[in-house]
Amino acid sequence: MDAWLDFARGPAFRFALAVMVLGLLRHFALALLSVRAILRRAGDKTLPVTQIRKATLSWLFPVKKLGHHTLFAAASVLFHLGAIVAPLLLAAHVTLIEASTGLAWPALNPLAADILTLLAIGGLLVLFVVRIAKRAARDLSQRSDYGVLLLVLVPFVTGFLAAHPGLNPFPFTAVLLLHFLSADLLLFMFPFTKLVHVVLLPATQLVSEAAWRFDPDAGEKVAKALGKENQRI
Amino acid sequence: MPRKMPYYVEPYDLVGRPARFLEAFAAILEHSTYGPVIDFYARLKTRCARCPDLCPVYQVTGEKRDIPCERSDMLLEVYRRYFTTRGKMKGRLLDDFELTDEYLDDMAESYWRCTACRRCKLECPMGIDHGLITHLARWILSEIGIVPKALVVSVREQLEGETKNTSAIPVPALQDNCAFLEDEIREMFGYEAKFPIDVKGAEWVFFPAVSDYLLEADTLMGIAVVMQITGGSWTIGTGDFDGINYGLFYSDRMLGRIVRNEAAEVRRLEAKGVLAGECGHATRAAKGFIPTYAGGENAPPVMNIMQYTHRVWKEGKLPLLAGAIKERVTYHDPCNIARSGWILEEPRDILKHICADYVDMFPNRRENYCCGGGGGSVSIDEIREFRTKTGGKAKADQIRATGAKYVVAPCANCKKQVREVCEDHGLSEVETVGLHDLILKAIDWDRVKNVKKETA
Repeated sequence: MDAWLDFARGPAFRFALAVMVLGLLRHFALALLSVRAILRRAGDKTLPVTQIRKATLSWLFPVKKLGHHTLFAAASVLFHLGAIVAPLLLAAHVTLIEASTGLAWPALNPLAADILTLLAIGGLLVLFVVRIAKRAARDLSQRSDYGVLLLVLVPFVTGFLAAHPGLNPFPFTAVLLLHFLSADLLLFMFPFTKLVHVVLLPATQLVSEAAWRFDPDAGEKVAKALGKENQRI
Repeated sequence: MPRKMPYYVEPYDLVGRPARFLEAFAAILEHSTYGPVIDFYARLKTRCARCPDLCPVYQVTGEKRDIPCERSDMLLEVYRRYFTTRGKMKGRLLDDFELTDEYLDDMAESYWRCTACRRCKLECPMGIDHGLITHLARWILSEIGIVPKALVVSVREQLEGETKNTSAIPVPALQDNCAFLEDEIREMFGYEAKFPIDVKGAEWVFFPAVSDYLLEADTLMGIAVVMQITGGSWTIGTGDFDGINYGLFYSDRMLGRIVRNEAAEVRRLEAKGVLAGECGHATRAAKGFIPTYAGGENAPPVMNIMQYTHRVWKEGKLPLLAGAIKERVTYHDPCNIARSGWILEEPRDILKHICADYVDMFPNRRENYCCGGGGGSVSIDEIREFRTKTGGKAKADQIRATGAKYVVAPCANCKKQVREVCEDHGLSEVETVGLHDLILKAIDWDRVKNVKKETA
């Protein structure tokens, strides 16, 4: 079992982390390159920079968005807060990351880490309930939407149980191994699932504005490609 | 083979439609700037279900196909399957999604049920512009012949017809109409206001929705009076006097040709820029796309007439009586000028001054509901019931809640739609007007004539 634990928190973790970092970097780079590709061909290369910045910040820090669909919005914000901060600042994780990458930063005290972890778990459960209770969300949902919720939930729950043996009814080592493996899987899957939004969200308002900057010759080129250049309307 | 589009489509080649759709999609992806955007959107989907709450169509139908995210995914799914390596491999290995005639029909119907009002974008955490995807999907569909006849006929006349405008008004009829309106102003107010025609060197060339010349006499008279009182330098060009741009609703090929003609008319008349009339989509098409298709940074500037009127009123050049309109008035924000937060306060400032009882609809400004006729659907008479009972229900509820006598809708399309919405929702006492219709009623003629005497 120890060999499995060492594998899961050693090579497997480093591999998953590398896939996540490189994959997300690729997605972000592609987003920026797409804007460059658009503007290179656009007849109008100006962009409403202030509007883009405001819209981007309003979604990165969505305090003003809580008024609409409040339960969902609040659960989402709390989940994201817990899910981003807790894994990065938990003492055990800081140690692990330092051992794997040489990078280190201060850790949270255990109580704060617990609260954030519970926020993440609670928020995730509310998101799940909303997804099945709200008709439009249920209609829209695909298997992968539920799969991603599970993918994120397992490492948080197992991590919390591993950190609190008194609350853990399962064999400690098994829970720990499940925590390591599920976390590795989560990291690995980031670039291949909708979790990719963590790096695309800051670019999305920019892309959506650039999207209306058209190539002035596109219509004629398309007509030619379709053999319609001399065709009447 | 009958197809189930609810609107009339001119006869077109029904053979091999999926293949031809993919061919058109491929050509557009290759030759336009949509490729990177669609690729980005295809990788970004969270299906969080915030957008349905904002869609006026979904709010009435509750149908899955009317959820903005779901609608956009119809085109994105085709992209993923046929234009990404992963999709192509998946298609070969598995018995996966395939583009069929039925799927095409579903797309065609779905993308014309959307009014392209872009309200959903306000609540999309991922910032996906579903209106853009509707815009692109309609272009692709139009390239294989699936496009409402009402729009094609208008664009055909505007770009290739004898009259060069969507209402097929010949130049002599335009001139007669302007002379008639000048006479009306003289008779009604004892004032000489001109509709200048083909005046070279004027500052602005006027591009209203050309249908205003047939349907909106009061709006045009109000504009002419404002220009005359304030010494505005403007002209109507006989080479192109139609601001309508249905290319915005179904084809970038047409969109570009129409705005190029506008810019060419501005240059022919050696004017500074485009003065768009009271029309949301005409204003947005000119403002948003003249720089793209006609000169980039050197393109002629575009101003909406409401911006002009607001400016001269603030400068003290336009005497308006406070509280002149006694009945309750409300304002409908046309999506094409309000959704981006562009023209919101100018008309309100004026209305709050000239109306004794002005009330806003709720929600309003950027968040205002579409009238239900957006995206060109107002021109499609075959779908009137859908337009007014489904797409226009939220608007009817908004208007009813205000208790207003006048709805100011500074847009030719919105005016037609709001009138029909009111008719179909039992709001017969409501009158739909333009901003300049009410301004005309609120002119302080004593001050205008005194200033004129002093100047003389």
